[in-house]
Parts: sequence; structure tokens; C-alpha cells
Amino acid sequence: MPHETPKELLRLNEAAPRLFRNACLLGIAGLVVSLLIAVSVDGGVKRAYHSYLMNFCYFLSLSLGGLVFVMIQHLSRAGWSVVVRRISEAVAANVLFLVVLFVPILFGMHHLFPWTREELVASDPLLQWKQPYLNVPFFIIRCLIYFGVWCGLSYFLLRWSQEQDDSRSPALTLRMERWSAPGILLFAITVTFASFDLLMSRDPHWFSTIYGVYYFGGSFLGFVSLLPVIFFALRLNGYIRRSVTAEHFHDLGKLMLGFTVFWAYIAFSQFLLIWYADLPEETGWYARRLEGQWGWLSFLLLAGHFIIPFIGLLFRYPKRRLRYLAPWGLFILVMHWLDLYWLSMPEFYWGVEGADTGVIPFHLLDLTTLLGIGGFFLAGTIQWLRDCSLIPEGDPRLKESLSFENA
Amino acid sequence: MSRPQAPGKSLPAAETKVFGVLAEYDSTHALLAASEKIRDAGYKKWDTHTPFPVHGIDEAMGIRRTILPLIVLICGLTGCASGLLLQWWTSSVDYPVIISGKPMFSIPAYIPVTFELTILFSAFGAVFGMLGLNRLPLFYHGVFNSRGFSKRMTTDRFFISIEAIDPKFDASKICEMLRGNGAIEVEVVEEPAQAFLPPTLRRWGISALVVLGVLALIPPALIARSRSRTSENTRLQLMWDMDQQPKFKAQSVNPLFADGRAMRPQVPGTVARGEAFADDHLNKGLVHGQFAKTNALPVTETLARRGQHLFGIYCSQCHGLDGYGHGPVAVRAERLQEGSWVAPLSMHDQVVKDREDGHIFNTITNGIRTMPAYGDQITIRDRWAIVAYIRALERSQDARIEDVPADRRGELP
Repeated sequence: MPHETPKELLRLNEAAPRLFRNACLLGIAGLVVSLLIAVSVDGGVKRAYHSYLMNFCYFLSLSLGGLVFVMIQHLSRAGWSVVVRRISEAVAANVLFLVVLFVPILFGMHHLFPWTREELVASDPLLQWKQPYLNVPFFIIRCLIYFGVWCGLSYFLLRWSQEQDDSRSPALTLRMERWSAPGILLFAITVTFASFDLLMSRDPHWFSTIYGVYYFGGSFLGFVSLLPVIFFALRLNGYIRRSVTAEHFHDLGKLMLGFTVFWAYIAFSQFLLIWYADLPEETGWYARRLEGQWGWLSFLLLAGHFIIPFIGLLFRYPKRRLRYLAPWGLFILVMHWLDLYWLSMPEFYWGVEGADTGVIPFHLLDLTTLLGIGGFFLAGTIQWLRDCSLIPEGDPRLKESLSFENA
Repeated sequence: MSRPQAPGKSLPAAETKVFGVLAEYDSTHALLAASEKIRDAGYKKWDTHTPFPVHGIDEAMGIRRTILPLIVLICGLTGCASGLLLQWWTSSVDYPVIISGKPMFSIPAYIPVTFELTILFSAFGAVFGMLGLNRLPLFYHGVFNSRGFSKRMTTDRFFISIEAIDPKFDASKICEMLRGNGAIEVEVVEEPAQAFLPPTLRRWGISALVVLGVLALIPPALIARSRSRTSENTRLQLMWDMDQQPKFKAQSVNPLFADGRAMRPQVPGTVARGEAFADDHLNKGLVHGQFAKTNALPVTETLARRGQHLFGIYCSQCHGLDGYGHGPVAVRAERLQEGSWVAPLSMHDQVVKDREDGHIFNTITNGIRTMPAYGDQITIRDRWAIVAYIRALERSQDARIEDVPADRRGELP
């Protein structure tokens, strides 16, 4: 049982600038190619915006999952998770970079949100009724609030944790705990409304109060699945080989299993009520997702987002072995991406006359924008970890975390 | 300090037997180290006793991984299948009812119950499986005979017991091994040679339990038999309350009352339920289906004055205070030349004079032509009062000198 920090590579050091540059290049390449396709293809700009919003929400969900993960660890005064917390803090703090990447969305709102199009609103009493909430100035104000809350929380939780590396002051732990309590409350409210605004309002007729929980469930699952992937990549390059043990991966695996079930539970809760009540104003959203090719994607999600990972992660064996857990994480991340595609893209046809809505409008842009935003997301994570240890060395519970064992 | 101790309870030697060897440790490290030694020495019938869960004890003792997860999985799958089968059988086979236009066999609607049963069965599997695998509840264990164990086991000491039934058991060898192993105390624990109950009683006890168990099956079997048959006998009443209530029925005797009748006669001045509207004369102004010729109430000056008061409130707007039909409403309607307006009849018209009291009562109650119904505004007695006043009003317009009492005729101008 190790009680001292094992002697190992805990800092990116000279590798950081190179990794950062490569990740930035990937991001720039992705966005430039997207831009080129967008301007050269007929209707490409609209298509690019839809892909961009979807992939933005994808990476936003990973950051938000990280943020709530960190706050939960503080609130529950968790000992086991200390060694995985620094990476989580860095992923969460990526929200600060995502704010910059959010700006283009504001210029393409008329492509993305039907309620911004005056000709649609003029002929639609429902949209007129919703105008007091769904209007551009208030939308921007709300987004400022959301990003303000997330940036503030994630930035200070990372900074205080980094400060503790040197000062080793337990007071910082208490401070982070204290801020996490109101933080998690604000998080719940902002994530709920952000998911309403960014995704749900793409079909401004439809509404579901559980939508925010659904987005949160996917976000948390996506984040806990991202962690094993990151640790696998770090280990492959010789970082943190001993501090994070099978015991920690076992717990992450349990969270992955638990939130796989949680996601399915919430997804089904939303579906069951709408399916059972069979009210026209609610069923349209699901009808669109069960029509034609979308129906196949829906069943793929049922199998790939729930049944397969549930069975795969049920057993102890893969949860304790990173070489199995990381592929499961990657698998769930792919499924989470498809889930957001499913959540967002059927509304591509909203308000378009005579479109073949049963066809999945897949486009190369979906992948180029994924790489574009993903590159910057990776670069952001590396940037935050550039000058600090990969585990919170000054945390008073580090020793407990290093010697943590599942009973 | 480390010599074998006599068992806590001082029993005569003939009545005790060796249960095993008990070693006491004051730290988990010593316990884990000793456990590994015993494990490697190949003992089978031994155990550790700690006041709290000790990490790594499974491995140190060489305990195989528990099969509890497998039990839970099987229970969960059973629950899942039970939930689906239950709903399939009840909703689409045994008693098919279409609910909300959904198919009889409708998976989404079945998921909540299936989910709950999966969880319930899994939880039962986990709890009872754990108890079963640990052979709990355990009411007796040989180590309870050690006083040292009983005193400190649940507070701050750790124990290892090796039972005498282990094939490799050799008290002196084991004591020696454990003493050189960090134990602060080693003792040979003895327990009563006989079980708590004598063997004869135990055998009889078991037989009695078996017989009782079989007998206990008879009532349910009889109930099951009678439920599947028809019978000419009156049924067995287990619950008497609903069938045989302690109450008096119609036409029966009730000793509580002097006349002994359970049915009570009507109390003077009350109306039986449902009989409030039986008096047609009073309520509808009818006698034998014809309009009553007389007022249903005794006509008095008080009644007529009451009628005058109400006539002023309800009737005079159209009919006028004098009853000639020149009330303000009628006058204004006349002036507006409203096509649909039917002027009110004069109370002094011969047609009205010839009408029976019951007819006028009926008109007030139900209305006629443009006159609205006043039945829900004016009570029955007040309507008869108005009728009485109208009769007086009619008389007033063609009264003869004979109508005035003889002694007051002098007051006339």
C-alpha cells in the first residue's frame, strides 16, 4: 500500500507545448476545412452551423460533466477521487475556451433557431406567444449568465486546487467545498435552461421538462467515460502509471455503469409519458425521431447507449483494467455523440417545406467540426495542465486516495 | 500470559469438549500476518473475528471471491422475467382490456413494473443471499465460551479461531504456532459437550415440527378444495360484520321503544324524506289535476299584507301597483314599440278575474309569454300570499258598499 506519492511522471513539462501546438493545428485545420466546405457547397453555411452547434454542445457536455463531477467530489468530501480530480478540473475549465467558440453560433442563430426567423414567427401564434422568452436579446443575456456561472466555478475550482499544490493549505479544500454547494445549485439551473435554449428550442413548438436532466445525464456519463480514455493516453506516454490504480478505475467504471442506467432511465421516463399520453403537441418530436432512418438511429441508441455498455460494464473484470475500460469509455463517447446528433439534427428540417425528414442529413461537416472543436478542446485541456501536476499534490486527502481500496 | 486458559464457564471436565484454539491480536497488521500463515499452513475450519471490516482480510484468509453478484444477477433476471410474464398474462391473456388505445402486449407500458421487480428481486437476492452465504442469523458459536472474546471482540481486539473439527487440528501445535505469530493471548476454548437440547428431545422436537408442518398444510388445502367446487350448503361466514350487521330492519321488534316497533312513526311537524312535494294543492296549485279554486293557505289579513309587500317588489314593475298593467317596464316597452313585447294583462280583466287561484299560482311559478318564472325566487307560501293579495286587489276595483263592514261605512267620503 503506497502512502507516499510514487516517484513518477506527474507533469507534462516539455511535452506540453508540442501537444498544445498539435492540438491547436488540428482544431484550426478542422474549422478551416469546415469553413471551406460551408462556402463551397450549396446550403453549406446552414449545414455547417447545425454541425457546429451539435459538436459544440457535445464538448460543452463533457466540460459540464467535469464541472459537476469536481463539485460532487468536494461536496461529498470524497477521498478516493483526489488523484483523478486535477484532470477533471482541467476538462471543466475548458468552458472558458468554449465561450470563444460559442461566438460564431450567435451569428448563425437564424439558421439554427426557427424562433429567430421573423417570417416564421409572423405566421405562427405559438411562436408569438413564446416571444417574451424566445427572443434574441434575452437569449444572449441568458447565455452570458450560463457561461458566467460555469466559467467562474470551473476557473476558481481549478485555480484554488493548483494553489494548494504549493501551499498545501487545507483551508483551500474547505473553500472549494463551500463554493461547491451553491455552485451545484446554480449548475443544475443553468444546465437545465441552457439545454432548453441551445437544443430544445430548435423545435420551438415542443417542450419537455425533463430535457435538462437528460442532457445532464448524458454529460456526466460522457465525462466519466472520457476520464479512462485520458488516463489511457497518459499512461501510454508514461505519465501517472502508479498513482491512479485499478481501484480508481473500478470506481470510474461503476460511475459509467450507473450513469448508463441513469441516462436510459431518464430517456425512457421522457419517452413513456409522451408515448402514453399520445398528445399531438408532444408526439411530433418523437415521431420525427422514429421516422425512416431516424428510427434506426433510435434503436441503435437503445442498444449502444444502454444495453451493450450495461452488460459490458456489469462485470468487475473490465472495470478494474484500464485496457478494457478505456475502449468502453471511447465506445460510450461515440454513443454520446450519436445521442447529441439524435437530439439535435432532426430539427435540421424544422420549418423546411417538402423536406424528406426521414433521411439522416449526415454530412462531412459533422466530422470536420467535431475535429475542429475537439482540437481546441484538447488544446485547452493541455493548456490548463501545462504548469501544474497531473494530480492535486497538495490535497489533504491525497494519501487516502493513493491507498484507496474497494472493499 | 500466553498459557492456555481454562474456559470462561467452569464446567466439569466430563461435560466439555474442545471447541478449538482462539488467538487474540491487538492490531490488524498482526491479524493479517497471522491469517496468511494459517492460510499457508493449509487449515480449512478457521475464521477471523474483527470489530470492523478489515481491508485485505479476504486475501489473507484465502477466501474465494463471493458468488453473491451471480446470485443477484440471477435474481434480477428472474424479477425481470416475472414482471414481463405477470403483465403479459394479466393484461393480454387472462383479462385483456384495451387501455389508452395501446396494444394488449405493449412493452413500453410494461417497463416500469418490470424495472421495479428487477430491482426488488435483486435486492432480495443481495440481502438474503448475503445472510445465507454468511450462515446468518447465527445464534451460537463456540468462541462465545471464551470470556476474553466476549469482553473485547466488539471493541478493540482481533481474534482468530481454529476449530477442532479441522482435519489438521492439533491444539498444542497450533498454540505454539500462533504464539510465535504476534498473538497477545492464545487459549484453548472448550464448549459444553452436549448441545443445548438433549438428543432425545431434539429428535422428538424435529418429529413434532415435521408433523406440525404437515398439519399446517391441511387448512390451505381444504380452502383450495372448497374454492374450486360448488356446494349446496350455505357458505361459511368468516367475516360476519358485513352480512350480519347489528341493526334493526324494517318490520322487526325493537325493545328500546315502548311500542316495541323498530320502524318509527313520523314525528309531528316533520315531513318524511321524499314527501315534501306530495301536496299538489300547495306545491302546484292543483286539485285532482285541475287548477285549485281556492288558496292553499288560510287567507288572513297578514297573508294578504305579505302578498301586497311582495307584489310591490316582484310584480308592480310591469303590472303596476294598481294591477292595471301600467308598471314602468310596461310603459317604457310600450313607448319603445318593441315588436316582441306582449303587454301584461290587467289584473282587473274579466279573464283574470275568472281564473282559479291555482292558475294564478301556476303563472307566478312558471311564467307565461314574456313574463318570467318566479318559482325559484319566491317561496311557495309567498306565492300564495301574492295570489291572496291579487284577489283582494280585484275586489278593491269593483267593491260594493256591502263589502265594507256596516259599522265603518261612515268613514267613507
